[in-house]
Amino acid sequence: MNTIEERLWNYIDGTCTEEERRAIDLLIADDEGYRSKFEELLSLDREFASLEPDEPSMGFTYNVMEGIRAEHAQKPLKAAINKRIIRGIGGFFIVTILLLVILMLSTFHFTSASVSVHLPESLKLPDMKNFPSGLLLKGFFFFDAILALFLIDAYLHKKGVQSRFK
Amino acid sequence: MQSRLSDIELIEQTLAGNQAAYADLVRRHQRFVFTLALRFSKNREDAEEIAQDCFIKAYRSLLAFQKQSKFSTWLYTIVYTTSMTFLRKKRVDTDSIDDENTYIQLENHSSGLKSNMAETKSRSYYLQQAITQLLPDDAAIITLFYMGEQSLEEIGQTLGIEANTIKVKLFRARQRLKEKLERNLKDEVKELI
Repeated sequence: MNTIEERLWNYIDGTCTEEERRAIDLLIADDEGYRSKFEELLSLDREFASLEPDEPSMGFTYNVMEGIRAEHAQKPLKAAINKRIIRGIGGFFIVTILLLVILMLSTFHFTSASVSVHLPESLKLPDMKNFPSGLLLKGFFFFDAILALFLIDAYLHKKGVQSRFK
Repeated sequence: MQSRLSDIELIEQTLAGNQAAYADLVRRHQRFVFTLALRFSKNREDAEEIAQDCFIKAYRSLLAFQKQSKFSTWLYTIVYTTSMTFLRKKRVDTDSIDDENTYIQLENHSSGLKSNMAETKSRSYYLQQAITQLLPDDAAIITLFYMGEQSLEEIGQTLGIEANTIKVKLFRARQRLKEKLERNLKDEVKELI
């Protein structure tokens, strides 16, 4: 059950039902005590509504805009890199690896006794001996690892920004 | 002419790269954002820092603004979150705002002003003083309702609370504000006698 004050505040705010409003109208008209309480709360309401917001310092807007400009200036090189290029490079390597895997699997002939590999005659594989002790391959995997770390970092950073205001 | 533009139009201009439009948006909302931050921090320097931080955060997340609510409601949500983080960082015990020591401190502060400001003091001065003595949440609800002209639903959206709960909280905040206003005025009369 609401108190008289609570009902009167709802009446002043206009948040009471039509039925309640009519009942309070009657009470204000007939009951002296109710009327004086209503007038007291109404005067308080007007007083609260007359409150003026405080004024920040003169240079407030300038400081905000300076803060924004400074943030832009400090933008790291990492953030300025075009994401499309990064995704393109990543995509190229993924497609290359997938094609190699598919090609290898398609040339396998599985038998119950042994596994033999028959490469197409037209396919000429480079002589692996020519590679200086797999250095190129190591470089390739190293680059892939760096790329993977960069993408994970970008993903986690994005997640962190999104959750900041949650 | 710029001042006639709506908040949404200014946001669109900002997103198109016009920083001056955002400066207009800041000018339009800075007083209220600062006042709301002041309700939490109780200190002008801290409030200014919070308010500036809020506008920078809002600029950064402007793309995320869905335009489903008023820009002001969205902005006040940022103010509320930033202020709460600030309070947590500063380890301010919000209950202490209402304790006896703080009250005495505020009274002493006002006593110092009394000697030379007695004539200029108005009821609104006592009202401002009473608001500073409220708990941050109470002061914020009163400020949002009366100064921010926010509906109960919008306040609920800002503070992440149901509109019905806000209604009850607003009622209690008004009761407390009324009590503090009466107590301050009574003390003033006693001192004058």
